[in-house]
Amino acid sequence: MDLRAGDSWGLLACLCTVLWHLPAVPALNRTGDPGPGPSIQKTYDLTRYLEHQLRSLAGTYLNYLGPPFNEPDFNPPRLGAETLPRATVDPDVWRSLNDKLRLTQNYEAYSHLLCYLRGLNRQAATAELRRSLAHFCTSLQGLLGSIAGVMAALGYPLPQPLPGTEPTWAPGPAHSNFLQKMDDFWLLKELQTWLWRSAKDFNRLKKKMQPSAAAVTLRLEAHGF
Amino acid sequence: MLTLWTRVVQAAFIFLTTESIGVLLDPCGHISPESPVVQLGSNFTAVCVLKEKLPPEKPKNLNCIVNEEKNMMCQWDPGRKTYLETNYTLKSEWATEKFADCKAQRDTPNSCTLDYSPVYFVNIEVWVEAENALGNITSDHINFDPIDKVKPNPPHNLSVRSSEELSSILKLAWINPSIKSFLRLKYSIQYRTKDASTWSQIPPEDTSSTRSSFTVQDLKPFTEYVFRIRCMKEDGKGFWSDWSEEASGITYEARPSKEPSFWYKIDPSHTHGYRPVKLIWKTLPPFEANGKILDYEVTLTRWKSHFQNYRVNDTKLTVNLTNDRYIATLTARNLVGRSDASVLTIPACDFRAAHPVMDLKAFPKDNKLWVEWTAPTESVNKYILEWCVLSDKSPCIPDWQQEDGTVHLTYLRGNLMESKCYLITVTPVYADGPGSPESVRAYLKQAAPSKGPTVRTKKVGKNEAVLEWDQLPVDVQNGFIRNYTILYKTAFGNETAVNVDSSHTEYTLSSLTSDTLYMVRMAAYTDEGGMYGPDFTFTTPKFAQGEIEAIVVPVCLAFLLTTLLGVLFCFNKRDLIKKHIWPNVPDPSKSHIAQWSPHTPLRHNFNSKDQMYSDGNFTDVSVVEIEVNDKKPFPEDLKSMDLFKKEKNSTEGHSSGIGGSSCMSSSRPSISSGDENESGQNTLSTVQYSTVVHSGYRHQVPPVQVFSRSESTQPLLDSEERPEDLQLVDNVDSGDGVLPRQQYFKQNCSQHETSQDISHFERPKQVSSVNEEDFVRLKQQQISDHISQSCGSEQMKMFQEISTAAVFGPGTEGEVERFETVEMEAAIDEGMPKSYLPQTVRQGGYVPQ
Repeated sequence: MDLRAGDSWGLLACLCTVLWHLPAVPALNRTGDPGPGPSIQKTYDLTRYLEHQLRSLAGTYLNYLGPPFNEPDFNPPRLGAETLPRATVDPDVWRSLNDKLRLTQNYEAYSHLLCYLRGLNRQAATAELRRSLAHFCTSLQGLLGSIAGVMAALGYPLPQPLPGTEPTWAPGPAHSNFLQKMDDFWLLKELQTWLWRSAKDFNRLKKKMQPSAAAVTLRLEAHGF
Repeated sequence: MLTLWTRVVQAAFIFLTTESIGVLLDPCGHISPESPVVQLGSNFTAVCVLKEKLPPEKPKNLNCIVNEEKNMMCQWDPGRKTYLETNYTLKSEWATEKFADCKAQRDTPNSCTLDYSPVYFVNIEVWVEAENALGNITSDHINFDPIDKVKPNPPHNLSVRSSEELSSILKLAWINPSIKSFLRLKYSIQYRTKDASTWSQIPPEDTSSTRSSFTVQDLKPFTEYVFRIRCMKEDGKGFWSDWSEEASGITYEARPSKEPSFWYKIDPSHTHGYRPVKLIWKTLPPFEANGKILDYEVTLTRWKSHFQNYRVNDTKLTVNLTNDRYIATLTARNLVGRSDASVLTIPACDFRAAHPVMDLKAFPKDNKLWVEWTAPTESVNKYILEWCVLSDKSPCIPDWQQEDGTVHLTYLRGNLMESKCYLITVTPVYADGPGSPESVRAYLKQAAPSKGPTVRTKKVGKNEAVLEWDQLPVDVQNGFIRNYTILYKTAFGNETAVNVDSSHTEYTLSSLTSDTLYMVRMAAYTDEGGMYGPDFTFTTPKFAQGEIEAIVVPVCLAFLLTTLLGVLFCFNKRDLIKKHIWPNVPDPSKSHIAQWSPHTPLRHNFNSKDQMYSDGNFTDVSVVEIEVNDKKPFPEDLKSMDLFKKEKNSTEGHSSGIGGSSCMSSSRPSISSGDENESGQNTLSTVQYSTVVHSGYRHQVPPVQVFSRSESTQPLLDSEERPEDLQLVDNVDSGDGVLPRQQYFKQNCSQHETSQDISHFERPKQVSSVNEEDFVRLKQQQISDHISQSCGSEQMKMFQEISTAAVFGPGTEGEVERFETVEMEAAIDEGMPKSYLPQTVRQGGYVPQ
């Protein structure tokens, strides 16, 4: 894998910006103390909503990529997508995850995916596709905020982006066109898998939190933008 | 709050341009003096009303609606007008993201639509900023999850499917909007029958969760239903979607739920012990048929063991039945099953219907014709209502309907027309057969008659007239004729109106003026109005009937009576009248002058004809014998006689000369005419004269002696100068008869009655004493003939008397004339000179002319 430094820095800046601002949002103050339940539910619903969005987006984008990527049984090897956060995990491992770790993994994964997705957005050819991608990016950003809200409600700190842990994979001109498309394909596929997993994660968390769930209102206020 | 302030500026707003001499003014005001163009250098007053310009008010009531997958529209109340260009900007943001602003359109400053769908499940903060030149202000911020403001897309591809197992259900299926994949929905389902206009609602609790199908129950069989559906977020937050497109489906068939209406008609012209019975029934309405009726089954049972079956597709069946009693049953069959049976008893031929309904009445209400009746005391199975349009033009084709035995008020379920007279018949049907029918007439809606009655006179009297008219035909009545109005007037008089009850067909107008033209017209009124018929005029007579007769008959009778009396009077006084009107005129034909010619052959019965030439005063002739020439033979005499006659004819009527025409002149104008004749007549009353012309006629020397008459009307001077002639007569006829006789000759019949009387007395005396052989007497006979001729009927009387007298004397009737001549001769004999030339008289003494 050969990544160019410029791309990496760009992604890093993107991620850092997101991560930097999220803790600064004093939105996680509790009002009426409803507990994290509603926000967990909302995050769960949001993953479902993103799942729904991705279905149509992926269909459109894969058609845009053209065959064989838009074929239903196309299953290419995961060549250049090694740097993408993997959603698939051994069920036992997944079950053994605690809430904090679970939420942290989600948060980190979507942070990375969002950065990759924005790179995808820049390459998209048609305005309609760009529009769908932009909307999806916004939604995904909402999901990140939502997860951050849950974590704040549960008292977990947001993972700090480590300077050395920048994304090692990013779409770039180094790839051939086909390989680039392959990366795009895997990005969408990994997004989908992560949304499935997140739904399970938050469903599990929801069930776990229900008895002592307290309402948390995520209040987003504009600060520093 | 608006305050207006006026600034009056007196100034010279002169905008000079190199090209224009005009001035542009601010449209907010006006100038005085008013002019579109202000001349350079002139003074004017410009008034400008300025509106206060305000800073924007804080927008209130901000609310948003998120249209699924489309956009988000927010609305707010912008507050007061600012009279300034004010920008309203909708702002939205997350804590970490600021979204693009939405600028409200100038014409809709109270709403703005974001052209993207916000991210659901992430709260968004929205507010409005208003800004103009005088300031800016921000509304309250609202924070919401866009999913709670969502208006989903409606469900689509709604389909309806029926179930063969259950005729009362329909299964709905639809495709949910895509939002369903991450959102729980609830639904609202509405349905109606195809023809209905109002919707029924499926209970909301049955559709409060996400689904894509639903089974609607309790529907009517074989009925088409229409459905529609909408959805919203299950928890009720957000908005209902629009209604889906409608979808329809038909429930499956079920067995007919009711038996058909069943009735029959018997053709009265039955023969040979059979009667044609027409069984009729009604198709079941769809809500009772519950499917497509395949056919009907009719069973006729005569006895319990004997029955016939018919399968009919039509709604009627004609069968020939005997005169026995029959039970007819009818069932309708569809795909699923058959209906209950309608049972009808067709009674035997000798059945007598009874027990009609009572108090039958029909009335229109709510655009329907209602029929109400009181049920008979007997138990009624059902009622049959029949109705038809009464018309003179078309026959009564009845429609009918059946009602249950418990019904006593219903309306006619047919396509009824307004202004038509319906004859409605209600027949109760009992277990053993139909009862007596009762009928009533009714209108669905009355109208004024389409034609008025035609009035005419039946009888016209002097002061009254009997008008008559025909009842209007039912086709033009358009309603119940309630009354008539008769309007009548004279040519210049006021119109008089008379209302007449509708039961009448004639009316007597009284107090009319005689001999007057009256104009009559007549209107027939229903409850809804009237219509006038054609005008009719008549003239009252001058006299009443019989009045003329009463006048004429007495007048005629009086006239007749008068006439009769007159006639009677005339008859009684006929002699007197005759004397005045037609006195005896001597008949010239009987003149004995003609007989003076001795050779004239005797023409015995020539009197009547020759009387035409009679001359009343011929008797007054003085005959002078000039010469007696024995040598002249008879033919000469005859010639002279002919000549005389000729002369007589050719003397232009002067021949009648002597005394001429006296009595007969008017009726015998050929005898005498001309002035001379008239003058002669004038002299008749006096004395007639005759002149014997001695010389030849008209300067001709008569070959023989000629007798001629004097044409002179002058009295003969001789007679006056020689009164001895008269005296001679006087002397001769001395005694009783002389004077009257003289008078007679003079007055020419005017006095002859007297003379008759006198001669009357004379004759018997003379007859007995005169010798008939004497020539002189013959001459006198001529004279006496003249007398007798001139006096007409008087002479006849005289003759009668003579003949009467002759009875006493000797001789036959043929000798009477001879006696007469003898008498006359005897009378004149003594007075006349003997020198008269005797005529040749044959033995027997009578010489006709």
